[in-house]
Amino acid sequence: MAGPLPLGSRLRRYGTSYAMLLPFLALFAAFLLWPLANSLYLSFTRFDGVNPAVFTGLENFAELAGDARFRHALGNTALYVVASVVLSTLLSLGLALAFNSASWPHRIMRTLFFLPSVTSSIALMLMWKWVLFPSEVGLANTVVHWLGGAGVPWLATPGLTVPILVLMSVWGGMGYGMVLYVAGLGSIPEEYYEAARIDGASTWQQFRHITLPLLRPVTTYVVVTGLIGAFQVFEAVYIVFRGTNNIGGVLDSALMIVPYLYDQGFTHFKLGYASAIAWVLFLIIFVLSLVNLRVGRAMKEL
Amino acid sequence: MAVAPMDTAAAPARRARHEQPPAGGGRARVNRHLLRLPFYLLSLTMVVPFYWLVITVLKPPAELSRIPPSFVPRSPSYVNFYDPGWSARQVNPGHLAGVLQRFQVDFGFWRFLFNSVVITTSITVGSLLICSLAAYVITKHQIKGRRVIFLMVIASMMVPWQTTLIPNYVIMRNLGWLDTYTAYIVPALAKAFVLFFLVQFLQSVPDELIQAARVDGAGEWRIWWKIVLPLLRPALAAMSIFIVLAEWNNFLWPLVIVQSDEMANLPVALARLNSYFGAPDQQGAIMAGGLIASVPTIVFFLVFQKYFTRGIALSGLKG
Repeated sequence: MAGPLPLGSRLRRYGTSYAMLLPFLALFAAFLLWPLANSLYLSFTRFDGVNPAVFTGLENFAELAGDARFRHALGNTALYVVASVVLSTLLSLGLALAFNSASWPHRIMRTLFFLPSVTSSIALMLMWKWVLFPSEVGLANTVVHWLGGAGVPWLATPGLTVPILVLMSVWGGMGYGMVLYVAGLGSIPEEYYEAARIDGASTWQQFRHITLPLLRPVTTYVVVTGLIGAFQVFEAVYIVFRGTNNIGGVLDSALMIVPYLYDQGFTHFKLGYASAIAWVLFLIIFVLSLVNLRVGRAMKEL
Repeated sequence: MAVAPMDTAAAPARRARHEQPPAGGGRARVNRHLLRLPFYLLSLTMVVPFYWLVITVLKPPAELSRIPPSFVPRSPSYVNFYDPGWSARQVNPGHLAGVLQRFQVDFGFWRFLFNSVVITTSITVGSLLICSLAAYVITKHQIKGRRVIFLMVIASMMVPWQTTLIPNYVIMRNLGWLDTYTAYIVPALAKAFVLFFLVQFLQSVPDELIQAARVDGAGEWRIWWKIVLPLLRPALAAMSIFIVLAEWNNFLWPLVIVQSDEMANLPVALARLNSYFGAPDQQGAIMAGGLIASVPTIVFFLVFQKYFTRGIALSGLKG
């Protein structure tokens, strides 16, 4: 700093500073901090959106604990999150290793796998529904018929809904992880591999002892952001599986946390109850973020 | 090479590696290609659904309910976009309306495209201006409380936005903003992630540049506009890609705040199309809508590919 300024100009400068911060701070407080506090309060109330909220203490949370639909949604989400994150991380890494050069065939392959990331997500969901749904004319069953199988009612078979959601998510998400891994691979110095080759290390040993450890920060990022994103799945359930009067599809087999939150809040207008669900989601993601910080710090110390 | 497929920041380093002969000679090279084979097969699963989408749009309604379905449209047509034989006055089962004719609002489906463009552009420009101002103050001004503010912003990145969905809906309703552009735009302007990213970027910019401008007598607003924003250009490009994609595809928030047909963005309009017209012979028009919704972001991607992948890599690895 250029030394202390006279009081008048200091005031003027700091006044400008706060004026420049104001738009961000005001919006941040109004639409994030205040709603966050408010949703915590609402989670302890019975609130239908029309009448004033009635404070009921822990009633919503007690009800949630005994709510079979909510437990079902949690279980489905956990299954979906684990399966989709494991599969898409492995495939992202595989794709990055397979197509990481700057040659044109590799660039075209990367573009193909990245395409879903830039296509309208609702359009993709509608496309999947059209692939799976009209059982007789859908693409999926046409392929099954070619292979000599009998047509499957994909969206109406409870055991298939979570696997289908996982497939849709992996299909749409692996290209994004691939781009991160390609960047990670590019930052590994070539000298490491040269030295390893001179020492007679096999391709597998090079991968195991150079590539994987140096990609660990990317892996942490891909896994944690993948987990957090997967917990918030909504569109796929709403567009592909929602029935006429049930958001979760057949027997709630596709029910997840956020669709259930939407259902309770905006179909049944139980805004207090929905806020309690929102706080459960917050706590899950908060814990994941802490794990992320921990892992990140541990990595740095290694 | 503006439209070259998928260039990345790290390309030169890899190009060098690619040109080196693989260890172990010819056999290792064959092995490597064999290892790639499953991924080439996997790429078929990327192409086929998109192909299915495109041929669905080209099939006239009668062909869409054929069993088994055709893989090459027998009589390609554009009726799923605009059906010249359709009239809103008389029901004619031979002619179903194209997607551009379906909605009884001014400008029909174009209105949703317009809405999406207005909303996405305002949020992108607005949030980059607001966040860059705040990032400039936090990194380059010695004011009290800046650390606390920054810490709060970082902490807030752990909050899933759905947690604030219900109170924000109540705020919009109480302010009478439901069903307006304001409800789309204003709550989306202060983005913690964008501020965080810009602060990180600005920290690597030397203070001397700004000090020199101050010595020359430039005011803070002028420094922000003339020096900070140009310096931030690569970071702003990376962030605008994230914001554009997220806002263009935003669905849950619009679903909650939009009531009239007029104010729907493309995702909400498509979801309504899907629930109003679900029959197989209507799918062509629904997919036509999906194609219209996807073209702008795909073109945006093809034009700015370099920034796309670089932006993703940057934010993923630094953040």
